[in-house]
Amino acid sequence: MDLGNLESLKFFYPEIVLSGTILLLILFDLFIRNKRWLGLMAFLGCILSLVTTFQLYGMSPGWLFHHMIILDNFSLFFKVVSLLAALLVVWMSLGCREIREIHQGEYYTILLTSALGMFFMASSSNLLMAYLSLELVSITSYILTGFLPHNRRSTEAALKYLIYGGVASGTMIYGMSWIFGMTGSLDYARISEALFQGQTNHLALFMAFIFILAGFGYKIVFVPFHMWSPDVYQGAPTPITAFLSVGSNAAGTAILMRFFFPAVSRLGEGGDWLFISGVEWPHFLLMVSMVTMTLGNLCALNQQNLKRLLAYSGIAHAGYILMGLVVLNNDGLKAMLFYIVVYLIMNLGAFLVVVIVANETGKEEIGDYRGLAWRGAAIPAVCMAIFLFSLTGLPPLAGFVGKFFLFAAVIKQGFYLLAVVGIINSVISLYYYAGVVKTMFLDFPEPTDPQVTMTANTSALLGVLSTLTVLFGIYWGPLVHSLH
Amino acid sequence: MDIATALFYLVAIITVGSAAVVAFSRNIIYSAFSLMGTFAGVAGIYVFLGADFVAAVQLLIYVGGILVLILFAVMLTHRITDVEITNRAAGRIPALLAIGIFIFLLVQTIRETSWAKAKEILYAPTTARIGDLFLENYLLPFELASLVLLAALIGAVVLSRKELRE
Repeated sequence: MDLGNLESLKFFYPEIVLSGTILLLILFDLFIRNKRWLGLMAFLGCILSLVTTFQLYGMSPGWLFHHMIILDNFSLFFKVVSLLAALLVVWMSLGCREIREIHQGEYYTILLTSALGMFFMASSSNLLMAYLSLELVSITSYILTGFLPHNRRSTEAALKYLIYGGVASGTMIYGMSWIFGMTGSLDYARISEALFQGQTNHLALFMAFIFILAGFGYKIVFVPFHMWSPDVYQGAPTPITAFLSVGSNAAGTAILMRFFFPAVSRLGEGGDWLFISGVEWPHFLLMVSMVTMTLGNLCALNQQNLKRLLAYSGIAHAGYILMGLVVLNNDGLKAMLFYIVVYLIMNLGAFLVVVIVANETGKEEIGDYRGLAWRGAAIPAVCMAIFLFSLTGLPPLAGFVGKFFLFAAVIKQGFYLLAVVGIINSVISLYYYAGVVKTMFLDFPEPTDPQVTMTANTSALLGVLSTLTVLFGIYWGPLVHSLH
Repeated sequence: MDIATALFYLVAIITVGSAAVVAFSRNIIYSAFSLMGTFAGVAGIYVFLGADFVAAVQLLIYVGGILVLILFAVMLTHRITDVEITNRAAGRIPALLAIGIFIFLLVQTIRETSWAKAKEILYAPTTARIGDLFLENYLLPFELASLVLLAALIGAVVLSRKELRE
């Protein structure tokens, strides 16, 4: 299936619905007084788009818009992930005090535009589309990060993000120009053809990959392109931090796999992937994965700010997710996709508790969480414990199952060192996650600490997320089944 | 060396030289002005590639529009020349060494690689073909680029707006 522009529209409903919602949001922002309705509208648009995405599932794969984007279950999976992230973050924003004080119309517009950019990141099959979609996600992320008015941290974070992002995408497009120079094409299928038959210089190809990885890696947040993340995560409005931590990561992984699997490696017999000799990028990713998780976890040990701590833990999780790529077969891929879903749920949950506490206290330091369980917030504290232990990977929570699949795939392929490093890292992470839990339950609150209460809205979302975290820990069959 | 090659090297030197001034000048006004050389040089390279429309647009938009905007921004910003640059000279020698190795590697690889070359450069008007491609094969990237611009526009307005109306 290789369709032109008009025929493609039939398979383009999720994007059309989302773009329509974005334009309507801009329009309605002009005359709707109660901005809460805009949030609900964005929510509705996400659900509608999600429904249309599910309708496309199970189709035979094909190219749309003259080979610009590809439609297959892989891209649909990542569309669902980014829509879920957007949906849950819109929900979270509805109950967040920080968001109520800013321009909500533009906020939801930009948020959905970012989700739309992630759609294209997951489905682009052309270097030009890959670059444009990455820029769309980057620019919207800078804007969302700097959304808090008169907030020094937010502005500083946005500026740092912009500078790092500019350098990263500049490097990436330079690498892409090398690929174009070697193969004479922007289309992934033709790049692959040219690379596999032509006498390409392996060193040049390798350098081009490193350049391109700078752009992708900056979205996935792996070392050494992680430097922006702690400042940005701390400075951005908390729902946006949550969105970036899961959405940006998932979309970056998607675009990386989109590029590296079809363009520079081939599916061999028995589900293993072959790649051009001399350019063994999985070995490179193996190193990156180990360094990323170790550095993320070690830096997280000393953090006093909870959002910063979650930023470093996000870096570590990017390392875990990369483990699935190193293995380079369908087992690893499935484990990785499973982990991305699980990570989405538990990480958004952890940030939701940060939002609930900050709504009442306005603070995000770990010290401000002392005795949270005894300050009228026993339920958020328990849920936070669930999310954090799930992030650690303790049974019987979803994080454990996710990590189990990842480690199993890695060990099956004989990457023992990687598995050992991963397990040691999980133990390290237990220390700082448990530290937060200890502060919430075992430390006693000062009389000056304010009470923390929840609204119906936030408690509903909290209930959904924590139920899913526990549910996927016990009964993960349906989710695994749907990944095939 | 024929005259076209000599001209090409001249344009390349202007481009890279002005870019170096942009990066290394201590005075931001000098940096802003020498950006003109870079933009104009890039337009020259487009001419060598036979891309007449892109070269004209490069001159119109970048030299005529964006550069003037940058100059306005630089000159109208209060006391911009007094800003102390704090990280000016940190680890100059190791950086020089690393960049030297890096450039050596780059040049070596570029020399060894067999690049896919265009058959020949046609010096013919390109606008009609660009228009066709934008509405046929490259329709989706074209639309996506407009979405990127829309998002950037809204973002710029939001970030520079001062207070909430309510």
